[in-house]
Amino acid sequence: METFRILIVDDEDDFREAIMKRLRARKVEVAGANSGLQALEMLDNQDFDVVVLDVKMPGMDGIETLRAIKQKKPLVEVIMLTGHASVESGIQGMQLGAFDYVMKPVALDDLMDKLRQAYERRMLQLEYGRQNL
Amino acid sequence: MGTILGNLKTLWRSLMKKDAAEEDIGGVFRFKYGLFKELLNSNTQLLDIITDMEEKLKGHQLFGMSYIRANATRAVFHAFRMVKSLDVLSGHRFGQLYPVLEEIHQKIKAELEARREATAAALVIPYTAILKEMVDVVGGKSAHLGEAQNRLQLPVPLGFAITTNAYDAFLAHNDLVEEINKRKLAIDINDVESIREASEEIQAIITAAAVPEALAEAILESYHDMARQLGCAADLRVSLRSSAIGEDSELSFAGQYLTVLNVTSENLLATYKTIIASLYTPQAISYRLVKGIRDEDTAMSVACLQMVEAKASGVMYSRHPVRILEDNVLINAVWGLGPYVVEGILTPDTYIVAKDANFTILATHITPKPVQLVNKPSGGVEERPVPIEQQEAPCLTPAQMQTLASYALKLEKHYGVPQDIEWALDQDDRLLILQARPLRLKPPTAADAQAIPLIPGYPLLVAGGAIACAGVGCGPAYHVRDLADLKDFPDGAVLVANHSSPQFVIVMGRAAGIVADHGSVSGHMAALTREFGVPTILGAEGASDAIPPGVEITVDAYSGRVYQGRVRELLDLQQPRETHMQGTPVYQTLRAVADHIIPLNLVDPQAPSFSPENCRTLHDISRFVHEQSYRVMFQVSDLISYDKGGAVKLTAPLPLDLYIVDLGEGLQPQSKRTTIVTVDDITSVPFQALLRGMLHPDLQGFEPRPIHVSGLLAVMREQMLSPVGERFGDRSYAVISAKYLNFSSRVGYHYSVLDAYCGQTINNNYITFSFKGGAADDVRRNRRVRAIARVLEHYDFAVAVKGDQVNARFLKYPCPVIAEKLEMIGKLLLFTRQMDMLMNSEYSVELVVQNFLAGNYRLDQAAMSRSEPEPVRPSDRESLVGDEGQKN
Repeated sequence: METFRILIVDDEDDFREAIMKRLRARKVEVAGANSGLQALEMLDNQDFDVVVLDVKMPGMDGIETLRAIKQKKPLVEVIMLTGHASVESGIQGMQLGAFDYVMKPVALDDLMDKLRQAYERRMLQLEYGRQNL
Repeated sequence: MGTILGNLKTLWRSLMKKDAAEEDIGGVFRFKYGLFKELLNSNTQLLDIITDMEEKLKGHQLFGMSYIRANATRAVFHAFRMVKSLDVLSGHRFGQLYPVLEEIHQKIKAELEARREATAAALVIPYTAILKEMVDVVGGKSAHLGEAQNRLQLPVPLGFAITTNAYDAFLAHNDLVEEINKRKLAIDINDVESIREASEEIQAIITAAAVPEALAEAILESYHDMARQLGCAADLRVSLRSSAIGEDSELSFAGQYLTVLNVTSENLLATYKTIIASLYTPQAISYRLVKGIRDEDTAMSVACLQMVEAKASGVMYSRHPVRILEDNVLINAVWGLGPYVVEGILTPDTYIVAKDANFTILATHITPKPVQLVNKPSGGVEERPVPIEQQEAPCLTPAQMQTLASYALKLEKHYGVPQDIEWALDQDDRLLILQARPLRLKPPTAADAQAIPLIPGYPLLVAGGAIACAGVGCGPAYHVRDLADLKDFPDGAVLVANHSSPQFVIVMGRAAGIVADHGSVSGHMAALTREFGVPTILGAEGASDAIPPGVEITVDAYSGRVYQGRVRELLDLQQPRETHMQGTPVYQTLRAVADHIIPLNLVDPQAPSFSPENCRTLHDISRFVHEQSYRVMFQVSDLISYDKGGAVKLTAPLPLDLYIVDLGEGLQPQSKRTTIVTVDDITSVPFQALLRGMLHPDLQGFEPRPIHVSGLLAVMREQMLSPVGERFGDRSYAVISAKYLNFSSRVGYHYSVLDAYCGQTINNNYITFSFKGGAADDVRRNRRVRAIARVLEHYDFAVAVKGDQVNARFLKYPCPVIAEKLEMIGKLLLFTRQMDMLMNSEYSVELVVQNFLAGNYRLDQAAMSRSEPEPVRPSDRESLVGDEGQKN
């Protein structure tokens, strides 16, 4: 599999850093953002394939961030992390085009699987984008 | 709710408009295939969530509100993703599902909001006020002890429970949740050392943290109250015992947490913290990691009990824990404190008391007891010698034994299950109950099992099976031939099967027992049965034949026997599954939420009620969408036949004109201009398997011919030999990827579609096969359909025949099994081509099936007519024709 680029968005520094460290150990290109705003800024300047996004963050929450990401870059895939999410966020996340919803904390192998699947979908859609230009 | 991901919609629309002109037809399939895979993936995840919730609802696993919220959210998400995938996949033919889903979502939301009231936040509760319903606040140990005191009026030591609210307050006061999580991140579940390190650090920060002032005050105030009541001022000694929710369960934490005896007032708070910290021993951490129990759903309550100056202590069982047919109270006793019995340091005295009206003492076995454990004046415990004249004396008087036995009986009656009880005799000769919990009967060794006497008066159906999970279960036998049978599994039935399968997990919560002809007690399913506490016998050869379906049977998973009827002598041994969570508010919330997620009302895809408006739960939605998605996928192959672009032709000695569309990695890399590929170019696992079957040497034609015949010649030969009506020229298509195959073949009137996925994730693997025989008034063709159905049934497919069509499914098996079945279908597809002309009687259906199953693929008229024993009666034939006429 070619390398893909991941952005982890979570206000919990320890969690974010730990995930990043482990993804790097698996040769995944990964960056981190500690807020929705920072994530959006990074998306302006760099290309990412998949964003992993905590639903619950102070300030701009996960759903708002997801909405903004999808407006900016509709083909970036987003995996939501849920700790104390409301059921509503499941519906909203899906409506806004989130790829999957995983429980936090998440086993790294599971996360890797989902990242791969999300990446596959992105490739599929990018191909469409090109065909339908 | 109807809003759909905008870009997908636009893409799809533009795709639909231009697909006829599209050069690369593969693109359409890749897109559809992607959606289909997502749908299947969400289906798997949703079913996993349902299974997990069902397990939690059995009440012996821990969970909290965070579990319920997160999983309800995920369930809704995946149902939504399935609905959307299907809707897009079908070109928006399923929009009516959105409002149905929205309605269910609103109901789930309402349940969650209704229950958000805060529980009363008492930090400590005296035992005089505790009942078993308070288990989520005081933990199992304290709840049972409070119940014994207040509902059964049994003597227990004075004491109070430090609640889970206190625990929460303690964590919050010190921001411990964050600190603990930080350290848990360093854990690698496969690395024991990393668990040990995290455990040490976490326990250290817990014991170093401050007990919040309000909590310290509450604990000390209760302590001084107790001291005043006992008239022993500040010298009162207490024992502190962990009382976590579910701790009493055999399955979870038994014995892993801490008990500290003879604690002085100055050590009280420090000891409290030590016990809290025992939530983070390496064993407890790995247990929770393995079981997926979240820390936030775990809470430790601590029992603080007056320390008994025990003359004697011990354990008693309200019936024999190993010799299962002995229904007497068994008491173990030593001098001094109890740990020497519990930890097996001394061989205790054993007294056996009958459960009759007089509590007759049946036996007293006295052992030498040279030492005893006693309280140390400075706190803690120490070993002392037993005075010589007492060493070989019984610890209890006959009257005391009988009093204890009466307590055991009371507890057993009250809880309805055999009990495992700790007791002590204090300096005033008062007998006290220290702990009571359900007794887990231990499974006997194989030799002991055989020694268990047969119970007369009941037909013995099975003997000599291996025990996967000990216990006794009774219910009607329900034979499960394939996984589809599981959906109708009745509550409380005994599952009878040829093989064990982890898929049975779906019904384990409802099964009274499981009996299978084959399967290993160390296998995956066996582990699940123990987890669920389903009495299970495996490797009982011939059991599924010996047990008549529907008949009530008793599974004795101690001796490995199955009796016909309700064996009353064994029924007392049925263990109600332990239910620590039941009755707690959080459990009731899950129950209410799960009612909108788990029940399956849409069971029959053929029924008119199988429709969106009848979906009442997320499970219904997923069932409906799943079913429809196959239908939609079958239509994919129709779509392609309008457009020939993108396909390459396969050259092989096959009587088929076969074109391939590669969705990705189904073929060796080809140059852009390649139009013809060979069998060797194929890398698609399921397609390879199918072709292996089709290219079987015995299927190369009706007459012997060299197998190196070129594709073209083979095809021409086929054309000449084809029966009238099956003309050459129709094409077959294989849409493939590395793990996927959609094979459709239309030859004359007959049409078959095969759809299969064959990858690593067993739950995503499937074969669906649909065969339409042609004009329904052709009796011969209908015979062919029935013959195919018989063969597929034989190979464990779930088969439905409707009119001249057979639909078959084979779901959730490992890749090699799927491949094997595909190979069989490959043979069957070619084999059936020679059938029609031979299907001249009803008997021939049976004969054709037998020949295929025997591996005899060459049929000829002579062989068929030779073996026909007698002509079919004309009346049979007429009624058959009549039938067909109606269906047409």
